[in-house]
Amino acid sequence: MQSRLGWAVLTIVAVLFFVFIYAPLLVIVVTSFNANPVNMLIWDGFTLDWYRGLLGLGERATDVSNRALYIESTDQLLAAVRNSLTVAAATTAISTVVGTATALALARHRFKGRGVYSGGLLLPMMMPDIVLGIGLLIFFVTIGMQLSLLTIIIGHCTFLISYVYLIVQARLAGLDPALEEASADLGASEWTTFRKVLLPQLAPGILGGALLAFVISMDDLVITYFIAGTGSTTLPVYIFGMIRRGVKPEINAIATMIILASILIAALGLWLRSRKTD
Amino acid sequence: MAAPRERIVLAVLLAPATLILGVFFLLPLLIVALFSVLMPGLYGGVEWAFYHWNYGRIFGWADGLMEIFEPIYLQILLRSLGFATLTVLLCLILCYPVAFWMSRLPERWRLLFLFLVTLPFFSSLIVRLYAWLLILRPSGLLNQGLLALGVVDAPLDILYTPAAVVLGMVYIMVPFMFLPLFAAVDNLDRSLVEASFDLGATRAQTFRKVILPQTLPGIVAGSVIVFIPSVGNFIVPDILGGAKGLMMGNLIEQQFLSARNWPFGSALAMVVMSVVLMVLLTMVARSRRVRG
Repeated sequence: MQSRLGWAVLTIVAVLFFVFIYAPLLVIVVTSFNANPVNMLIWDGFTLDWYRGLLGLGERATDVSNRALYIESTDQLLAAVRNSLTVAAATTAISTVVGTATALALARHRFKGRGVYSGGLLLPMMMPDIVLGIGLLIFFVTIGMQLSLLTIIIGHCTFLISYVYLIVQARLAGLDPALEEASADLGASEWTTFRKVLLPQLAPGILGGALLAFVISMDDLVITYFIAGTGSTTLPVYIFGMIRRGVKPEINAIATMIILASILIAALGLWLRSRKTD
Repeated sequence: MAAPRERIVLAVLLAPATLILGVFFLLPLLIVALFSVLMPGLYGGVEWAFYHWNYGRIFGWADGLMEIFEPIYLQILLRSLGFATLTVLLCLILCYPVAFWMSRLPERWRLLFLFLVTLPFFSSLIVRLYAWLLILRPSGLLNQGLLALGVVDAPLDILYTPAAVVLGMVYIMVPFMFLPLFAAVDNLDRSLVEASFDLGATRAQTFRKVILPQTLPGIVAGSVIVFIPSVGNFIVPDILGGAKGLMMGNLIEQQFLSARNWPFGSALAMVVMSVVLMVLLTMVARSRRVRG
């Protein structure tokens, strides 16, 4: 690998690697603007029809029956987006607070069984999501709890608390406890020390954990699939249903918008991380 | 004076997570374990009687009165393990050279490419799988391309095959393999590699004796992180796999949402869970031994 040739081979492999990762996403974005509805890979010119169709403004499929063929209803799609955002917001709030509290407890206190407890906290992350999904389904049905947005929020919290805990805990481990001791020595109460000393230093970790929780909650399909009631379909479950019924040009449009939104979120995350290192 | 107060603070901080995980994580898993040994009811639901044939059925020994001998479930279990193992190996082969390439780049470029590897993780799983549906289906990009180039005369049936399932799993799992692997490769002590060359070792020897042992923790961590979600996956085979690509996840989903045999579905889930726990425990035991 010292040689030029070795480096050239490695570079080619790396280029192919990134083509493998990004080409499929590019295929979706390009086809979402293609006017050809039958063969999406023959370019018939640029169109925004599929985006218009999503918003119920379609000119292509003017009669109601034809439009219904392409996309069930714009209302359903918007409801799914709304459900996803509601679930993700609630889940992020709960799991960020609970995960941070747990990380604080384990980092600053010593107690019996601490090792087992912190190990157990990682189990929800490692559990295959289908097992968690059916477990929650049986549980909610057995105790007679109606499947709704609330059951989805509960389901997401069970594993997202672990993610937030892990990230905040990593941040806590890198902090200098001397600052907190100094604050206590100068007569600050525990609460003041937490607010004025610990929290500002932890903020990037907490924000990072919250962002990750939001992204994972927005994207979760498997657990939501099992515990979503009839009126509480989220965006991934909705798209999953659409794909199962066949490939439609409107799916390309939704998918492209999701790809763009995710790039924005990832860029936001990168920006937060770069501020942290300043 | 401080001790009781500290205990209260600790209790308050730990109570929410303990409560949520106890009630909505541990309890459901215990219920799955319980359901897996109950008798399925005739019209869905369960009979409250001990019934071990749910497990027997998975391994090919069905209840002589109710079922016939069907090794099909054992086949699907083995296939799931095989697909997951293959996914791990392919991810490893794909990521290892790229991790080396990236570790040699200047700092700025390294950060940029690292960001590019993690970026797809932020975009939706279902969207990324859908892309492969567009590419692999008979009228999809790949077949259109091959037909246009004259490589094939008729569209290839790639979609709904085991190959499509493994390809889809590799695609969604690549970032999870890459990150731990890259961390290990990036921490590699270069002077040891140079020393090995200086002492006259061949490339193969250097790789086997110096590079491989040093990057092994990253390889193990990445493999476990990829294997676990792969073995119970049901979305990828559902979208890209046909009857021959059916995995444990699909079987479990069917038992819950269409066959309505919850006890059998629970037994299948318990098997998947045991596989995962065995992998995790092996890894923990290994890392203890290495450290101790």
